[in-house]
Amino acid sequence: MRFSFFHLMPWTDLKEAPAQWPVSNSGFDPERGKQLYDGYIDTMVFAEQCGFDWVGCNEHHFSPYGLMANCNLIGAVLAQRTRTIRLAMLGNLIPLLNPIRVAEEYAMLDVMSGGRLIAGMIRGVPHEYIAYNVAPDESRERLREAAALIVKAWTEPEPFGWEGEFYQYPSVSIWPKPLQRPHPPILMSASNEESAEFAGRHRAMMGMTLIADLDAARRCIEVYRETARGHGLEPTPAHILLSYNTCIADSDEEAREYLSEGLRYFHRVLMHSIRDAQRLVIQRSRFFEKEHGERFVNRLVTLKERSIEEMIEAGSVLCGSPQSVVKQMRRIRDTLGNGHFNLNLKIGNIPDAVVRRGMELFRDRVLPEAREL
Amino acid sequence: MTEISFKEQTVDLETGRVTYLNGGSGRPLLHLHSAGGPRVSPAIEQLGKRHSIYMPTAPGYNGTPGHARIASMVDLADLMAKFARGVIGSACDVIGESFGGWVALWLAVRHPDLVEQLVLEAPAGLRTEGTGGLPADPAERLRKLYAAPERAPKETRSAAVLAENQRMRERYTGGITLDPALQEALPRVKARTLIVFGTADEVVPVETTRRLTAGIAQSHLSYIYGAAHAPEFDQPRRVARLVGAFLERGEGFLVRRSEAG
Repeated sequence: MRFSFFHLMPWTDLKEAPAQWPVSNSGFDPERGKQLYDGYIDTMVFAEQCGFDWVGCNEHHFSPYGLMANCNLIGAVLAQRTRTIRLAMLGNLIPLLNPIRVAEEYAMLDVMSGGRLIAGMIRGVPHEYIAYNVAPDESRERLREAAALIVKAWTEPEPFGWEGEFYQYPSVSIWPKPLQRPHPPILMSASNEESAEFAGRHRAMMGMTLIADLDAARRCIEVYRETARGHGLEPTPAHILLSYNTCIADSDEEAREYLSEGLRYFHRVLMHSIRDAQRLVIQRSRFFEKEHGERFVNRLVTLKERSIEEMIEAGSVLCGSPQSVVKQMRRIRDTLGNGHFNLNLKIGNIPDAVVRRGMELFRDRVLPEAREL
Repeated sequence: MTEISFKEQTVDLETGRVTYLNGGSGRPLLHLHSAGGPRVSPAIEQLGKRHSIYMPTAPGYNGTPGHARIASMVDLADLMAKFARGVIGSACDVIGESFGGWVALWLAVRHPDLVEQLVLEAPAGLRTEGTGGLPADPAERLRKLYAAPERAPKETRSAAVLAENQRMRERYTGGITLDPALQEALPRVKARTLIVFGTADEVVPVETTRRLTAGIAQSHLSYIYGAAHAPEFDQPRRVARLVGAFLERGEGFLVRRSEAG
C-alpha cells in the first residue's frame, strides 16, 4: 500500500460562516497568512520523514477553503525542501488554465524535483468555473483537449502548432521538458461513474474523494477498470487512489473528538457559501449529467449530516487510534482493491499539533502494519 | 458554410486531357487530391471564399482517361506544373492531401518557381514500409481515415471506378510507401510550408513529420485536434481557419490578430 499526505491549506481563523461566495477577503490578514504558509509547508515537508510516498496539494479559488490558488508554487517549494517524496499536484484545474502554462510549470516541477512529479489533470468542483469565468458546459471537452495538448507539449520533439476547439497555438516548444519519460504519471478524478470512465479512457491513475458509501465507490472503480482495460491499460491497485479525511490520535475517543471539531468548522464555515455556488452552477449548467449533479449534492449533504461513527461505518473517513485506522484501511482495501490512500489530516481547523501527532502515529504505528496491505 | 459552386472543366495538355474542378474566387490555389480522388470538402468550400480553387484529377482517376506518358509521382508533378502554367497561368499556393501531398512535394522540388506557399496534409511518400497504412477491410478503413466517420463524404462512385483509382495509385506510386529520392530532395523545397496532421492520424506515422521538418527549411508543423487522416472532412472549420490564416498571412500567421480588429 502506498500513502499520500494531502493538504488543503485552509484558513482557520473565521469566527462565523461567510455570507456568500466568493468569500469577502476583507478579513484576510497577510501576516497570519505568512504564518499559515510557513506552518503548512513545514508539515508537508515532515511528511517525507514520516514515510509517506507522495505529498499532495491542489487548487482552489476565492475562498478560505484552501490557500493554494496555484499549487505548483507550493510544489516548487517542496521540490527544494524534500528529496525523495513524490510531489502530487492533485491537481491543476486544467480546463480553467492555459494548458501550455500547465505543461511548462509541471515540466519545471518534474525537472527541479528530479522526476518526482505526479501530474493531476483535474476538472475541479463546479464553483471554480465562476471564479475563472469559464463555461461549465465546456468543462469536459476543455479537459479532454487540454490534456491531449499538454501531453503533446511534453512529448513532441520538434516545435508544433495546435488547432483545436478551445485552444489554438501556432507554435509550441516548451523548455524545459519533463524528466520522466515519456511523461510524468497522470492522475484524473474518478469520483463518479462519468469521471471514472473519463480517467479510464485516458489510461490515467484514478483518484476518488468524498466517498459516501463503499458500494457506489466500488461501482466507479469497476467502471474505471473496465474502461482502462478497453483502452490498453491493465490497472493495478496502485492506479487506484482513495482520498480520505483522516484523524489518527492516541485513542479512538480523542480522534473522534478532534475530527468532529474539525469537520464542524469544515462544513459549517469553510463549505458554507461554497455549497450555494456549487448548486448554482449545477442548476444553471451541464457541468454534471443531471443524475450525477443530484448525486454530487446529495453526497455532500450526506457527509455533512453523518456522525463520525456513521462515517467510519460507511467507509467515508479514517478515524481512531492507529490500530483502528489500520483496521479501517484493511476493510476499505478488501472492499475496493485500492493500492493507495491519500490522507488529509488537516481538516477544517484541527490544530497543527494534532496533525503532527497523527503523522507521528502514522509513521510509528500505522505504516509498519499498513504498508503490507 | 457557404455553398460554392465547383464547375467541372477539362484542358488538353501535351500528354492528354486533364479534368479539373474550379470554384471560388481570389488568389489561385491548386489542390492536389488524395488517393481517394478529388472531393470538395467543407474546408475547401470555406477556403473558396478567398481563393479560386483548382482541383485537377490525376489522369485515370474517377473514370478519366489515363496518360500513357504519366506513370510516376514525378511525372504527375510535372503534369501538374503544366496544368498550373496552362490553366492558372501563374505561380500559386498549393495544397496536397496525402497522396496529393507526395505530388505537391515533387512539384515544389522540381518547379519551385510555381509554388508560392505549400500546405501538406498528412502527405504520403515518406512512410517506412510496415508502419501506418490503411487496412483492406472497408469498415476498418473508414475508421482509420476519419475520426468522425459520419463526416466522410458519401460514396457515389461505382466499384469499377474505385478499383481503377486503386490501380492508378499503384501505377503512380510503384507500390512503395517511402520515396528515398523525395526524402533526399526535401531541402530543395523553397516554399514556406505548413504541415498539417490530425492528432488521431494512424495512417501516416509521426516519423513523416520528422522527415519533413528536418528536410524543409521553412516549415511549420500543426496538429488538428480531433482529426484522423482526412482533416478536411473531420475538422473542416479548424483546417480552414489554420490553412486560411497561413495562406493569407504567410509567416505572419504565427502572430495572433486582435479580435477587435
